Amino acid sequence: MRKRKQTMALFSLSAALLGTTLAGCGTSSTTSVPPAKNVSQITIGTLYAGSGSFATSSLPEYDGLKFWANQVNKAGGVFVKALNKKVPIKIVAYNDQSSATTATSLYSQLISVNHVNILVADFGSVLTSVAVPVAEENKMVLFDQSGTGTTFFTPNNPYIVLTSLPNSGLWPDSLAQYLIGKHYSRIAILYDTNDFDQSQDQTLVTKLKAAGITPVYNSGVPTSTSSYSVLLNNIAQTKPQAVIEFGYPNNDVSFLQALKASGSHYKMVFTVFPGQLPSLFTSSVGPSAINGTYTYPAPPLISHAHVNYGMDSSQFIAAFKKATGDNANFLNIAGYNTGLIIQKTLQTANSLSQLSLRHAVSRFSGTIETLDGKFQINSEGAQTGETLPVGKISANAQGQVSVQLMTPLS
Amino acid sequence: MLSPKLVSRRSHMGTNVAIPVVLLAAFSVAPMVYANQAVIFQMMAFMVLAQGVNLLYGFTGYLPFGYVGFFGIGAYGMAIGIELFHLPGLVALVVGALFSVIVALILSPLLRLSGAYFAISSLAASEVLYNVVANPALVHLTNGPYGESLVQSYHPETSYIAMVVLLIVTTIIVIVIKNTAFGRALMAIREDPVSAEMAGIAVVRTRTIIWIVSAVIAGLTGAIFGWHLSVFYPSTVFDLSISILAIVFTLFGGGGTAIGPILGSVVLYGLYNAIGISDPQYFELIYGLLIVLLVLFLPGGVVSLLQRRGNYVP
Repeated sequence: MRKRKQTMALFSLSAALLGTTLAGCGTSSTTSVPPAKNVSQITIGTLYAGSGSFATSSLPEYDGLKFWANQVNKAGGVFVKALNKKVPIKIVAYNDQSSATTATSLYSQLISVNHVNILVADFGSVLTSVAVPVAEENKMVLFDQSGTGTTFFTPNNPYIVLTSLPNSGLWPDSLAQYLIGKHYSRIAILYDTNDFDQSQDQTLVTKLKAAGITPVYNSGVPTSTSSYSVLLNNIAQTKPQAVIEFGYPNNDVSFLQALKASGSHYKMVFTVFPGQLPSLFTSSVGPSAINGTYTYPAPPLISHAHVNYGMDSSQFIAAFKKATGDNANFLNIAGYNTGLIIQKTLQTANSLSQLSLRHAVSRFSGTIETLDGKFQINSEGAQTGETLPVGKISANAQGQVSVQLMTPLS
Repeated sequence: MLSPKLVSRRSHMGTNVAIPVVLLAAFSVAPMVYANQAVIFQMMAFMVLAQGVNLLYGFTGYLPFGYVGFFGIGAYGMAIGIELFHLPGLVALVVGALFSVIVALILSPLLRLSGAYFAISSLAASEVLYNVVANPALVHLTNGPYGESLVQSYHPETSYIAMVVLLIVTTIIVIVIKNTAFGRALMAIREDPVSAEMAGIAVVRTRTIIWIVSAVIAGLTGAIFGWHLSVFYPSTVFDLSISILAIVFTLFGGGGTAIGPILGSVVLYGLYNAIGISDPQYFELIYGLLIVLLVLFLPGGVVSLLQRRGNYVP
């Protein structure tokens, strides 16, 4: 009898505790609009990968964002329309070490513990992916710097804005036009099996097939691939005129090294990242390995002529060098560009509520051109203003890289 | 007048009952005390995984470096349940568990190996699973390298509660196993499979059962974890560091006990969130030193300090 009473008591206690769990879960924080008079600074929460596979891309992007914040603070802060005054910027940043699992709790930390005003995602799709539902759940606009994953942008989610680069599925539009225009009929495509590269492959193959061209080689390899000798041998068997390789920087470096070692020559060789990170490629594979190859050229390798917001390329290169001592690359520009979009948002929004910030972005979409190109988003927050042209690289023995545009700049 | 043996047994039972009750209380109140629910959720997930590793390694002696394979398969099984079969999230968790059982059965011949050979082969198996799931040829089933987006089924509160329930159930399972003949059979297999066989223990059947139970635990954890994230890539749920952390938490606390993996997860994951968030470089240094010191001086984990003094450790 006593034992039965104890069991019942235990069940009751367990039920009560589970009820508490339910109640506790219901208290998850959502962002609220801070009273205007209490806002003494705008806090921007972001993550960076200080180590791991994304560090080489994430850190320069973070440097670009920090550079923007320093520039703004030197000028007395950012003008916030909702407060009708200039307010300094403070960046709160955590190191996710390239781990999506760690990033999940850190994004949550920024929102629920640090109560940041603005949330900025880390580099790339993998580290951005976990932020998308967290931001939506907490009704917080996610300023997505370079997470171009196709699944992030949905009609029902108003809490995401892609600041730089179009959706990866749109990247090869110009490349397809160029290949078709050159009447190449024998095209080999090698891509990494990840969201970013495979979506490019799909777009390119679809466009080529629509023009009556079936690639003679189209194969995917794991993103961890670092040995391309056998693959290049297989490609050579198909006697292609153009060889296209879609990969991440490490893949492109390994591919170009293997191509150089193989001694094979093709009318056209295309890789993605020499146009964004030319200094990485000249130091890793040497200028001769990228000379004459094709890529998507990006600022600062190319300049947009009609910049009407923020610094232009040459001003940025000089100011960044002065501030950091480093030569600017595209990822620095992407980080800086994110800052510019945030700046314009704060200058436009009537209040600091997250939906007001999001509506402000839609209002100025299509009206500004930064050093990164035209900023324009669709109704789902995906970038549509920027397009990626095709360029041919010239690299001299001293490692100086220039690019000749083969398709028009948007 | 109760005999000292009976008093001691009742006291042990009270301690065993207290563990799941304390866990339930702690994780029920935690979201009200600490705002970052994601940290609490992940701590629970690692506790459950550490208990799964505990069953395989602490009790049975198989070190599963590729344990994350079951975790990832569970996440993808759940995603398939939602995307292809249009099941509600809670029901889709069962699909995740079923997928992990199927994979566990397919991989059960690995149990013929032992020691480093088993550890390496389980790691290789998890890599195979990762590459199969991420294969572009399976886009229609797993969405290949594009990852899964289940935002339409995103329920952070329900998935949090599901993880609490799984943690409690798993803890109870470990306590029951530890205090029954089945648990003692596992420990006999861990010490010497040949002697265990000679003593009448059905070694193959026993280790296969615990292999499947452990796979279901990891599969369900992965399924709930994936549901909680709702957007993930193969690299997110097949991340080797998930296995490593679960193993380290178990080793730190002490395998072969119910409390060891819980202690390991609370201390090390807590340490990670106290130091690792702001200064991960110091955390990695402290973490590395801890592991070295542990292997050298406390191979039985922290709880072995209590056991050495003759204390009962649940």
